[in-house]
Amino acid sequence: MDATGETPRHVLTCGEVRTGLLPTRHCLDGRDAARLLALRTDEQVRVSERPNLHARSPDVLTGVDCRLPTANDAKIRAIGTVAARAVLTEGRVLQATAYFSAPAAGLDQRQPWGYYLVRPGVLVPLGRLPEQAVAAGFLARDRSAVPSGELGLGSIAEGLLGQLSRHPLLDHDVPFKSRRTRLRWAALPVQDSADASIERFTLDDDGLRTIELRLPQSTEPAAVAGLCEDLALHDWLLTTVVQKLDGIRMGAAEGAAVMNVVRPLVDHLLHLWMPSARVDRTLSPLWEVLETEPGFTRQWQTLVQRIRDQLTLQAIAAPAEASTAP
Amino acid sequence: MLVFAASDKGGTGRSVTSANLAYRRALAGDEVCYLDFDFGSPTAAAVFGIPRVLDGFGHQGLHSYLWGTTDEPARIDVWASTERKTLRNRPSGSGRLVLLPADRDGGEFVTDDESLHRCVDLFLRLNAEFDVIVVDLSAGRSYAMDMVLRATSRPELRSVPARWLIYHRWTPQHVTAAADLVSGIVKAGADMGHEEEALAGAIRFVRAAVPAVGSPLLSQVPSTTARWMRAYDEKLDVMAANRGIGKTRVLGSVPLEPVLLICEQLITDEDVNGSRIANKATWQALVELSERLTDDAYWGQP
Repeated sequence: MDATGETPRHVLTCGEVRTGLLPTRHCLDGRDAARLLALRTDEQVRVSERPNLHARSPDVLTGVDCRLPTANDAKIRAIGTVAARAVLTEGRVLQATAYFSAPAAGLDQRQPWGYYLVRPGVLVPLGRLPEQAVAAGFLARDRSAVPSGELGLGSIAEGLLGQLSRHPLLDHDVPFKSRRTRLRWAALPVQDSADASIERFTLDDDGLRTIELRLPQSTEPAAVAGLCEDLALHDWLLTTVVQKLDGIRMGAAEGAAVMNVVRPLVDHLLHLWMPSARVDRTLSPLWEVLETEPGFTRQWQTLVQRIRDQLTLQAIAAPAEASTAP
Repeated sequence: MLVFAASDKGGTGRSVTSANLAYRRALAGDEVCYLDFDFGSPTAAAVFGIPRVLDGFGHQGLHSYLWGTTDEPARIDVWASTERKTLRNRPSGSGRLVLLPADRDGGEFVTDDESLHRCVDLFLRLNAEFDVIVVDLSAGRSYAMDMVLRATSRPELRSVPARWLIYHRWTPQHVTAAADLVSGIVKAGADMGHEEEALAGAIRFVRAAVPAVGSPLLSQVPSTTARWMRAYDEKLDVMAANRGIGKTRVLGSVPLEPVLLICEQLITDEDVNGSRIANKATWQALVELSERLTDDAYWGQP
């Protein structure tokens, strides 16, 4: 912190995004999406229709004064606001993100609230921030519960999803059952003007994903959040379709049972695949990395082909069944 | 679908039978979760063969969630965590079976608006994910029961189907108590904004630990006893019908079964066909109940 009270550039950006099916029978159009995501009266929902229907709420802020998780159990206190926002893709997949950025150091004493309120989405540490240790602590996969007094981005994102789920526009009559996924992300600055990179990307059985990024320091926190929302959306699509297809006893299941699983996927999910549609141009090369390894789109195309093959088989079987019926 | 399991008194085998129904639905391919809302004496973990369920979790059970001290109630994958070997091989085509345990030392507690809110959120969230959500309540009226009645009366939950199973034993006292419990539920529900007829139509009875004359367990009773039992059985039928819990409102009966009464555990196909510790009739009753649970033909009319 310098004498003028300016916050130096952030050295750490962390967030968690939760992704799931919008709990309602039919997808929402742009107008209803805007009504759902109107979290603030003073700021508009951003709705865009190209290349797909995408609505993003304004950021809402949550004031916190808490410890940050660290890999080495160092006690780091930070004060400020966490930003949270929700996005709805094609009126069908709902995501909530809670995120913050933090500078390398802050004043040694807590300041009046006004000081923090003019820095939305920034957590200012008391003293120096060990950004590596905080990033590692934040991504640690064995944190089954957030200790009390420690920052819980997940619960802020969850709270936002809960609030949206109670909206009267939603009827909770979902076209199919599906699980939510959580993507926890942390971004540290690149060393010596190197290119942006993905250091680590992990998948856990219980729906938790973690990703560690190295990005140019000039990258806006909201742009990182946008990239991670896009990754989380496509990871959720893959996860959900794989789970649904795994649930079918291939070969053994009857035509109607297969159709019950496959049909909602065709109706609601297959057209949602559009990697990097809205990712900041400076970050879109990161998507190309994931396309090579593990190969998101390759796996998706295989799944889509499997679904189409099932539909073809059912179409062939249907007239045969009809002609043998008494 | 939400399924609330209640009973007039203790000793009806409510928890163990409900756990068996959850298990059967998962075997049939449904995604199933089981919520231990028996806050005074949570036992579900033992029924699923996960006695050390909250070791390492600290306070992360349903108590803590409803109190607001944790935002994510612990979830235990039964197939992966159970200590019973025969359960660990999850059959292909089966759905998930997830237990949300209560805190071990939580106790009964008074619920408030905040816990009601959290309860609604939890049901909404689970409904997006699971086909069947079994909620095991404690015996008799409880704060938990009032909370779920209030929660299901809220507009957010109105389109989520909810069904009630009332377990009672096949004795005059139990029949009376079960009938009283249900009229209490319907009256309280109506006061909270439920449509009385719809709520009553969503309630079915399960007769538990029914001693069936002619069953292997009772094959040795003298003929005079058998005759008396049959006559008494008929008398009970009349009495139940007079109290409004006659056959049309009964979803099924579970016979007197040592495995349910003594070990309180899931009855697997292996227990019936392999080691033969459980009776075939019990197994059949559980299969039948689990099928009727999700079959609309058995529900609707009060």
